[in-house]
Amino acid sequence: MTRSWPVIAAMFLALGGVSALAGYEMSPPRAGAWHEIAWPFPRDGWPAGRAFRCGEADCGAEVEVYLRPKLGFCNCDSGVADDDEVDRVADVDMISPRFTPLRAGEVVDVADMRGRIRAYDLEMPEGKRTAIGIAVSHRCDLMAVAAQGRGDAARVQHEVLTFLESDALKRWMIAALENG
Amino acid sequence: MGGRGTAACCTVFLVLFAGVASAQPKIGDPPEASNMKLVGTSDLQARSAYQPTIHHQGDRWIAYIGHHGGTDAIPDPVNPMTGKAEPNGTSIVDVTDPVHPKYLRHIPGQEGKYESGGAQMVRICDGKDLPKGDRNAVYMLRAVGSQGHEIWNVADPANPVLVTKIGEGLKDTHKSFWECDTGVAYLVSGAPDWRTRRMTQIYDLADPAHPVKIRDFGLPGQEPGATGAVPTELHGPISTGPKGNRVYFGYGTNKGGFLQIVDRDKLLNGPKEPTPDNLKFPEIARMPLSAMNGAHTVFPMPGMPIAEFAHDKDGKTRDIVMIVDEAIQNECGEARQMVWFADVTTEARPMLISSYTVPEASGNFCERGGRFGSHSSSESMAPVYYKKLAFIAFFNAGVRALDIRDPYHPKEVGYFIPSITAATDKRCVTIDGKERCKVAIQTNNVETDDRGYIYAVDRANTGLHILELTGEARAIAGLP
Repeated sequence: MTRSWPVIAAMFLALGGVSALAGYEMSPPRAGAWHEIAWPFPRDGWPAGRAFRCGEADCGAEVEVYLRPKLGFCNCDSGVADDDEVDRVADVDMISPRFTPLRAGEVVDVADMRGRIRAYDLEMPEGKRTAIGIAVSHRCDLMAVAAQGRGDAARVQHEVLTFLESDALKRWMIAALENG
Repeated sequence: MGGRGTAACCTVFLVLFAGVASAQPKIGDPPEASNMKLVGTSDLQARSAYQPTIHHQGDRWIAYIGHHGGTDAIPDPVNPMTGKAEPNGTSIVDVTDPVHPKYLRHIPGQEGKYESGGAQMVRICDGKDLPKGDRNAVYMLRAVGSQGHEIWNVADPANPVLVTKIGEGLKDTHKSFWECDTGVAYLVSGAPDWRTRRMTQIYDLADPAHPVKIRDFGLPGQEPGATGAVPTELHGPISTGPKGNRVYFGYGTNKGGFLQIVDRDKLLNGPKEPTPDNLKFPEIARMPLSAMNGAHTVFPMPGMPIAEFAHDKDGKTRDIVMIVDEAIQNECGEARQMVWFADVTTEARPMLISSYTVPEASGNFCERGGRFGSHSSSESMAPVYYKKLAFIAFFNAGVRALDIRDPYHPKEVGYFIPSITAATDKRCVTIDGKERCKVAIQTNNVETDDRGYIYAVDRANTGLHILELTGEARAIAGLP
């Protein structure tokens, strides 16, 4: 019996670690009124990511954000090179394949990763909406972020970037890229 | 009870550990092989290798091998022939005697590491075959990263002479194709104003010294000024020339791939302005793969007689395209990339008919390190193997020989996994934020020559392995 104590202790430690990790991965980000929703898109080449919604009362208009890692999908040296790359990789096409950029994109830093952000007009069956596409890179991997909302693009972009800077979400993004 | 539990845990641990340990190759281990054997090797100056092209040049056989960029540890390996550090480019090796390959020359490529440097692609045409070429010249077309494309005269392969450069300031270049009988070249490029890293720039290189642009080609949505979703980027085309009048384009790498069948005459002579309608005009059909697979190589085999259908009133012969995905993630960090066969006899309705992958459990390949999955196939249409055997580069599972005489039921008949050497580079994955690296063979590309030798090259710097078939596989090819 004595000999089994180290094994039992190791199992408890391992189980505790797994539980903590699972709890951390499932925990919603504590940032205002954002809450996690089910991934709303059909399966494509990349595994599903995480999706969040912020209501009109808290964000001025309803905004949804979708983010997921795309491992090995970025030039390891040049990172996210230009706006064309944001158009290609940021998953805005999951919301609608018909999107038009509002203007040139700009450099952005999200969770200490450098990339580009761009705003779009989105054609949806129920009318036009605003979309935001973000692609930031870590080594050869990408974090792709798409968002949609009603109303002013600057406001949607501000809400999205503020949300992405929440500690819980930053930790999740870094962990998702570090651990594949 | 506790003691037995501990013992059971230890047993499981030891069994698992033993499995991992046996999967991990070591320097000095013999190669693993079935119906294939090693004939000769060249270390290729420990440069990461992409496309080998073997050319019968007078009474010699010359291998031209494209390279990726260098590594973090050695960005510019030293060329022992010059004593200088040179960015990876093109290796030229005399393989007339395959037992003793002779390294002739390294032509440096673009500075840069891994996919960002080197000169990955290489195609060769004799001047006497090109409509307006110098009859005494042998031309090498190579893709030099964002520096564009270059043509060299390699009539004296030890002393190549630069003929011309095509396109500079491109986003990327990759797996081009060159018709030696017409000179038409399909250059995989990233034109700066297109919305994709890789599309096709078509040139008339009938006179390689004076390239003439024919047109830019890609998918609607990739052209300059387009908006909305951007279709998957090109990997590479293969043309059947004026006689076959088809160009097969493979799109994607390890995701969202598809085969595009294009009417060559309409492509070359149709309206050239890159509008959505004009880009769609030459397309006959598009066959999507799963979103989890890409198309690195699309290799056409028209008019294959199918023994099983010999007594059928219709459909005795079939037009087949072999599609090879490219694995890009180490240690199985993605969906399996493998080989697919499509029946394109009714071109407007191409259909996948079969597939092939190396059984993972046959070598614990997900644990060996590096990539496991397919990358590319041999592309030679020489009679010795065409429509009989195909050779697939399968990264840490080496080269696999497939009997494809019945493409509805492809069957592996041989394989060769080279031994690692001191030059073999590590491949890493991140576990809990920390890098864990392993060293394994990474057979990246494979090609054959008209004599039946098989040339496998390694992405992890292990060099060139020249192989030959034995046993059942050799009999299929009708080799003595």
